[in-house]
Amino acid sequence: MSMQPHSKKRVCYYYDSDIGNYYYGQGHPMKPHRIRMTHNLLLNYGLYRKMEIYRPHKATADEMTKFHSDDYIRFLRSIRPDNVSEYNKQMQRFNVGEDCPVFDGLYEFCQLSAGGSVAAAVKLNKQASEICINWGGGLHHAKKSEASGFCYVNDIVLGILELLKYHQRVLYIDIDVHHGDGVEEAFYTTDRVMTVSFHKYGEYFPGTGDLRDIGAGKGKYYAVNIPLRDGMDDESYESIFVPIISKVMETFQPSAVVLQCGADSLTGDRLGCFNLTVRGHGRCVELVKRFGLPFLLVGGGGYTIRNVSRCWTYETSVALGVEIANELPYNDYFEYFGPDFKLHISPSNMSNQNTPEYLEKIKNRLFENLRMLPHAPGVQVQAIPEDAVNDESDDEDKIDKDERLPQSDKDKRIANDGELSDSEDEGDGRRDNRAYRAPQRKRPRLDKEPLQIKDDLKPDDMKDDVKNVSNAEESKKDMPPNP
Amino acid sequence: MAANMYRVGDCVYFETSSTSPYQIRRIEELNKTTSGNVEAKVLCFYRRRDLPNPLIQLADKHQMAQSEDSPVAMKLKKICLKTPVGEEQAAQAVLDPALAAMEEESTELPGTDGLAPKQRHQAKHRELFLSRHVETLPATHIRGKCTVTLLNETESLLSYLNKDDAFFYCLVFDPSQKTLLADKGEIRVGSRYQTEVTNLLKEGEEDPRISEELETLVWTPEHGLTDRQIDQFLVVSRSVGTFARALDCSSSVKQPSLHMSAAAASRDITLFHAMDTLHKSGYSIESALSSLVPASGPVLCRDEMEEWSASEANLFEEALDKYGKDFADIRQDFLPWKTLKNLVEYYYMWKTTDRYVQQKRVKAVEAESKLKQVYIPNYNKPNPALITNNSSGSKSGVLNGGTNGTPAPQLCASCQVTSSNQWYSWGPQHLQYRLCGTCWQYWKKYGGLKTAGVFSESEAETTKSVREPDETALSAPHRPHRCAVLNCAKEFKLRAHLARHVATAHGGEGARPVMKTRAAFYLRASPYTRLARRLSRTLRRPKHYARSPFSPINLTLLKNDCTAGAEAGSASGAAGAARVRGPVGAVAARLAAARGVPLSRSATHEWLLLTPKDRMPVPDHVAFPKPPKAPDGSLLYERVLSRGELEARRAEPAPPLKRRAYDDINGLDTTTPGVGERSRETLAPPAKRPNKHPAPMQRPSREQYAAMCARAQATGQPLPPHVFAHVNGKPTNITGRGGRRHVISWMDAPDDLYFRATDAAKAARRALSGGEVRRGARAPWRAVRAGGKAPPLQLVILD
Repeated sequence: MSMQPHSKKRVCYYYDSDIGNYYYGQGHPMKPHRIRMTHNLLLNYGLYRKMEIYRPHKATADEMTKFHSDDYIRFLRSIRPDNVSEYNKQMQRFNVGEDCPVFDGLYEFCQLSAGGSVAAAVKLNKQASEICINWGGGLHHAKKSEASGFCYVNDIVLGILELLKYHQRVLYIDIDVHHGDGVEEAFYTTDRVMTVSFHKYGEYFPGTGDLRDIGAGKGKYYAVNIPLRDGMDDESYESIFVPIISKVMETFQPSAVVLQCGADSLTGDRLGCFNLTVRGHGRCVELVKRFGLPFLLVGGGGYTIRNVSRCWTYETSVALGVEIANELPYNDYFEYFGPDFKLHISPSNMSNQNTPEYLEKIKNRLFENLRMLPHAPGVQVQAIPEDAVNDESDDEDKIDKDERLPQSDKDKRIANDGELSDSEDEGDGRRDNRAYRAPQRKRPRLDKEPLQIKDDLKPDDMKDDVKNVSNAEESKKDMPPNP
Repeated sequence: MAANMYRVGDCVYFETSSTSPYQIRRIEELNKTTSGNVEAKVLCFYRRRDLPNPLIQLADKHQMAQSEDSPVAMKLKKICLKTPVGEEQAAQAVLDPALAAMEEESTELPGTDGLAPKQRHQAKHRELFLSRHVETLPATHIRGKCTVTLLNETESLLSYLNKDDAFFYCLVFDPSQKTLLADKGEIRVGSRYQTEVTNLLKEGEEDPRISEELETLVWTPEHGLTDRQIDQFLVVSRSVGTFARALDCSSSVKQPSLHMSAAAASRDITLFHAMDTLHKSGYSIESALSSLVPASGPVLCRDEMEEWSASEANLFEEALDKYGKDFADIRQDFLPWKTLKNLVEYYYMWKTTDRYVQQKRVKAVEAESKLKQVYIPNYNKPNPALITNNSSGSKSGVLNGGTNGTPAPQLCASCQVTSSNQWYSWGPQHLQYRLCGTCWQYWKKYGGLKTAGVFSESEAETTKSVREPDETALSAPHRPHRCAVLNCAKEFKLRAHLARHVATAHGGEGARPVMKTRAAFYLRASPYTRLARRLSRTLRRPKHYARSPFSPINLTLLKNDCTAGAEAGSASGAAGAARVRGPVGAVAARLAAARGVPLSRSATHEWLLLTPKDRMPVPDHVAFPKPPKAPDGSLLYERVLSRGELEARRAEPAPPLKRRAYDDINGLDTTTPGVGERSRETLAPPAKRPNKHPAPMQRPSREQYAAMCARAQATGQPLPPHVFAHVNGKPTNITGRGGRRHVISWMDAPDDLYFRATDAAKAARRALSGGEVRRGARAPWRAVRAGGKAPPLQLVILD
């Protein structure tokens, strides 16, 4: 699995051309059409030809009952819009009807969504791919025997169950604006799956995801909930996402990651209340990708469909490590993207109710919990031998630095050259790299993978941000016993 | 500017009453009304002070339960939050005996540790309760933004106190059910909810999964073609498509021009097909090309957009108009030859067309009434409670009442400062509290006073008569509730406990006196006030001030007067003191002596003698005849009918109209025999509804009256309805039995009437002698006999 620097990841993409034609019903915000819009954008951006494209099989009832109860799946299989009257009682029991309506082809839709995630997981297990994408999946609210929040069959749980055959520990990250309650509940009592969910909390669907919900039994401390408030912007999101995820990686040390990319955390979402841009959202994908673990990307929420397809298109490009133009290419649904026809969106001027202090407090509390994990290393700031990875980029390093930093800065930093070096060619994300590398050091499997992300992928504004942060961090860690 | 821009989703202050704190609402919708005003549909947040008492206790306990993770606390949490509490009793029932100990502990919010008592008090003002209650208010009542966030236990309350307009909430209040609920879902634990975790494959174990069964490869990047080659192939496939359309008859109708054919051939379906073809031909451009142009002719890929005929499209639009996006119905009634998938696919493509854009524009115009944001300028009008400078003297000072126990009226009732740019009167009028500008703002925003100390807030707030004082002044130095029952005097922390104690220990009714509904007050004139009243020139017009108690009195002038008067008084004796003049006989003697008619002590003048009783003049008309006496000396009054009797009487057919008591009285005198000759002068006030009574009744004489009463007494029959005793012109029904006064219902009450003195009337009055005026006042129906030039009096009857 050794990669050349900047090599592209092998990406598998799951899509069924029927998926866009399932229709939840009049006025229902969930529109599978967004997956087709994404697909058409991918084709016209030329990303299509850079991936392995698979049409997933339809998951069988047997596969679905690995998680779901038999009678629930039986019910889903038999219910149709024309026979709902015969199933009144069961519909109530399984919470099918209002949010989760019975629509034409419901079962097929579930089959395709679950089939994609399961096939993707198997693909990762076979090491036939490093990153698998199933935008038709990510239905994270579905429970063992209950539909919830537009989700009927929990493809994520099925996918993770598949991954668990090969992976002792699987990390699930959820950046949907809603809490990933279905996945959390399914793995609430196990220590083999850690669920990390970033979500709006408080008077918001599904009502779970309190900071204090940390798992139960063996799974205590293996559920991580980050309750957020309205108006999360890119900067705040990253400021909490980066430390939490790096800490989780460090302490939990998963060997596979599933990222639910619910796009309702984007600004202007019909149901969401965050203020993320496509870039900020995609940044999470980028950051997780850097760990170089087998990586399953699934869709999820997202109810302003033009932004959803923008977002997932961008995230596909991030997964591929390919830069795409801000100008949207012409496609069948081009008119949806007016008036600007651009890939990236601007945040609104809504206020961010998540103060830095609030996020800091949350973060500290979660760190306390993570410290309870048995794998947690006792000391987190260790003297890191700097020589291992840095050789190749050392030269570029200095050049870049001269370009960017005033001499005084450079002088200050000379002692730390080694620290700065590894990611210098990328010009950003240094802090993240270091933080992420700490656990990697302990795990030989990852050692071979410094960062693969192409620097030019990252927007300029972000570079600056990260630079500042990393500077701050450096001053903290200023005196490593550098040999 | 941005500060005055209010968006949907913002939390804002609403001023619904100028004298109560703002209400906190979240804007859910902004709608323009037809009149051009903006109405805000808002979600209500409730303050602590808005909650019923027992719920506040529950809220406090919930807080405790959150802060401690003890099992008791957990239990409490469950009980408290799951049980709906309608009444105090119910709330009490909820409290488990096991938790009784906790009740006695102080009930504080979490994170209050390390807060000063004052901060703790203020923290209570920042707590809100979310509700699902939605109301509509005019957007012009918005008075600023605030933030309301769900309290996170990692936060200290200080972070809210340090920020202006920041509130938090933990619980959801249901105003109709009177319940509090935690806004929190639950992750359930049990085999019914968790999944069975698959085990890691053992060494050498086979994974039954085969990727090939799970997926079909439709494209691989390992194709060996360059991007350019792929692009070229795509162009070729599009040109083939264009050519195919040229050959196709049906297409040439739809796309009459080459451009349109080319555009149609460039749709994504052609591209996808080209990619598929490449893949299927093993990424060999050559074989792919040949499969694009099979023997049957060039490949033609058409999507729904192109497939549909113009008439189908029209049908679809029509159906969309009729059914909305109910595609099943549309299919059934309009386009049965299409599949549902056809319809959905077409719909999403149709949305890109001009026709949809036009429709959208129409909709956008319709939706214009739904606003996203609204600009509300700062509200600058002074609050009516603002004490303006010129009246502040009288407001804060004595209002013809002296120092009636108002504690230091010059101070701010909250922060005790004495100087402020603005003063606002606060609390009930009679207490004359006032707040400085900052405290007023604080009170408006947070619904409480900065300090809990001096006054119990709700006591001072008349608007909140239901609430008990100690609930708002929660963390005030605690004043225990003491049992008022004699020889008991037990003390309780919470009023509810006292109520329970009273109910159990002293019997049920005992709970009542604990409730204090309204602060009664009276005006106590201190000796100094009385002295001031005598001394001060400005207060020399007591009648005037009695008539208009609201007219201001200049206090400084009063003080000056008083000091001056007091000095003068000490010099020349109390000016206003009544002189001792001696008995009337002595005065008469003195007067006589002054006239030069010496008054002999022995000879008594005839005019000085009292008239003997039997020689007193008998009035020829008794307005209020005394009822006859019973043998035991008590007066016999007419019995008043009970409602039942009255109804029975009404049921009798005889008087067709409902008679009113005053109809009988009015106009009586005109036909009374014996006074008939005087009828011109004794015109009674005109009745508003004259002659309603068919047969004018006679007023009975005293003897007749007595006889009637006796008869009624004997037979048990009620008196005829027209026989009434009346008091002050208002008919009053008095019964002999209970002696209880029956108030007539408002339906039967006479119209209010008053006498409006015109200028002419006033002039005429001046012409009258004092005696005549007095007589006129006593017998208002009698015409005044003055000099024949009496102007017609005006009577106005008010409805």
